[in-house]
Amino acid sequence: MTARLQGKRCLVTGGSRGLGLAICEAFARAGARVAFTYSTHDDDAEEARARIGACGTPALVFKGSVADAAHAQQTVGALAREWGGIDVLVNNAGINQILPIALVEETDWDLVMGVNVKGAFLFSRAALKPMIRARRGHILNIGAFSSERVIESPVHYAASKSALRGLTEAMAREVGRYGILVNLLSPGLLDVGLGQMVPQQRLKEYLDKCPLGRVGTAVEVASAAAFLVSDANTFMTAGKVLLDGGL
Amino acid sequence: MPGDRVLHETTSLCSRCKNAVEALVVAVPEGEVWMRKSCEEHGRQDVRLSDDASWYESTRTLMPATAAPARTMREVEHGCPFDCGPCTSHQQKVRLPVVTITSACNLDCPICYVHNKNEGPYHMGIEEFRAILGHLTRDHGGELDIVNFTGGEPTVHPHLLDFLEMARDAGIHRVTVCSNGIRLARDEELVKRLAELGARVALSFDSFEKLADHQLQGAHLLATKTRCLDLLEKHGVDTTLIPVMTRGINDHEVGRILALGLRRSNIRHLEIHTITYTGQGGASFSREGRMSMHEVLREIERTTDGLLTPQDFVPSPCAHPLCYQIAYLLLDPAGGPPIPFTRFMPRSALSEALADRLYLEPSPRLERAMHDAIDRLWAEEDPAAERTLQLLKKLLADVFPSARPISRAESMRASERAVKAVYVHSHMDEETFDTERAAMCCASNCYADGTTVPVCNYNVLYREKESRFRKVPREWNERRGGRRSFLPVLNAGSGGK
Repeated sequence: MTARLQGKRCLVTGGSRGLGLAICEAFARAGARVAFTYSTHDDDAEEARARIGACGTPALVFKGSVADAAHAQQTVGALAREWGGIDVLVNNAGINQILPIALVEETDWDLVMGVNVKGAFLFSRAALKPMIRARRGHILNIGAFSSERVIESPVHYAASKSALRGLTEAMAREVGRYGILVNLLSPGLLDVGLGQMVPQQRLKEYLDKCPLGRVGTAVEVASAAAFLVSDANTFMTAGKVLLDGGL
Repeated sequence: MPGDRVLHETTSLCSRCKNAVEALVVAVPEGEVWMRKSCEEHGRQDVRLSDDASWYESTRTLMPATAAPARTMREVEHGCPFDCGPCTSHQQKVRLPVVTITSACNLDCPICYVHNKNEGPYHMGIEEFRAILGHLTRDHGGELDIVNFTGGEPTVHPHLLDFLEMARDAGIHRVTVCSNGIRLARDEELVKRLAELGARVALSFDSFEKLADHQLQGAHLLATKTRCLDLLEKHGVDTTLIPVMTRGINDHEVGRILALGLRRSNIRHLEIHTITYTGQGGASFSREGRMSMHEVLREIERTTDGLLTPQDFVPSPCAHPLCYQIAYLLLDPAGGPPIPFTRFMPRSALSEALADRLYLEPSPRLERAMHDAIDRLWAEEDPAAERTLQLLKKLLADVFPSARPISRAESMRASERAVKAVYVHSHMDEETFDTERAAMCCASNCYADGTTVPVCNYNVLYREKESRFRKVPREWNERRGGRRSFLPVLNAGSGGK
């Protein structure tokens, strides 16, 4: 049987750890060629490169901020030269700050919106050029359950993830005619990222409300992502997939 | 006495025979609070309980909600405090389990408030401790989070490290070893092992001064304590400093000791005890040193230039309000003065955040209290609050870093590093004994058969009856006359709100 993403050329932003890394590994195991970006921690990136390489072909790695337009253009340009195009973009890079609105200053707002929204816009815009030329492609934005459910969430983070929903819907409508499918995948608390840090009592409250009674795993979300960007997904676009154990 | 105003009645003990006697607690015209009682055999006895009747009265209204022990071991037969186990009239469950693992000690402090025995010493066995751990874990619904090892000197116990491993494996995250620091100062390997096992040390530290040190501990131990603190800091062992405040001897040093606690990064708490006249040393120590809880709070205010005032302390919500007073301080990593929590949140909010525990732990109540405080400071636009807001923002960034996730345990440690606590704990002796307080004690000495005895009752009455701790154990007297049940106290459970 052919691997689900055999030969697909996939770019994952924020792929050096956590969910991003799990997505890279899942894609590589499914036969994809994988590139990822990261912003800060070189040691994490080197470890991720090795782990992805162990799953398939060697990964291409790019360092920079997703909120930097030049970084987006250079990354996509380099992949176009190396691979001849891009089939899949996963806008995974994200940042969260646990702050009440009283402590969210303008710089905090700009930082979170810059990474979570502007970054997805810049990388999507850059990747759409080769996708439109090829008249095919998948863009998958990683949202968060906090934009879909009424829970306590930092306002700038919730706003940024809700903005991704609008970005997903508008972009899907605009580029659908080129055979490009754009979807949003919104996980609940996971065994990586914030899910690791949330205080025990808060975690218990969350799990009490969750029908499956546990946090998700990065591997489960990565598996869903692999389906959404694969050729098996031929008709879902502007879709919003919640992966939160039924919260 | 003429001019006395009765505040309440209670049952106390005769300071000589330790039989139960009726007692009146009164406010005298000078504004002080005295306990007046009389023993048929040993006559009238009066003791001063507080320098400030209004503080005593207002504090006593802040009673904890009743939280019955998970199980009782004794029916009421003789009356409080002679039926401990706990008995069916005890009103608080055990929040601070104390396990006395040895009778041996390498120091002979003139203020020692327990009885020790170095000849043929008692060392708790592994199975004995396993049984205690089992009882405690069951009684805490499997969520036992704190155990305190004491002695004697616990570091001389040959199986201390085994006990610490057992406590860690039982999931207890706050395991504290009381120590005078002598062995720790000499044995860096032991300190390293304590760090590896996540143990905490409660270090007695009474004075910087040679004379006071001799008067209180029988030796000048400053160099030893300093070496011990250096090693604990080097290996990152969370530490509590425990000074015993004694009027005219070391009370003027409380601010300096507090400053030491604030300066050292690994010191999490100060637990300041008032001197108590029990045990092999304390019973014969000069009574001129007696200090009330409120006098300690005032001395803290005086010697810290108002960094902490009596109003910055709240009573523990799980003990009698005259037993524990607690203040929390938010630290400034840039070196600015710490900010007491009560300067940015109401005292009632801090009290509620403490809820069911002796120590602040992450909880929805604490989150809500902090969130409310932030909103209020921000909305009121008080320029003086800007530093507090920035410190709270820094705290949140440390606890929930956005750059790279940390584990729940690391997150909790980050929150602990941002604050320090000051506890004032007033133990009772036979002179100040008040069964109203004893019945609400949440700190108990634990036995292998599941028996628990509140620590003051234990120190005053029970320990001296055990052959493990005295070559010639004392016999019980008649044990008659103790209060058999407790009437509801005005405002009980309301926290005075």
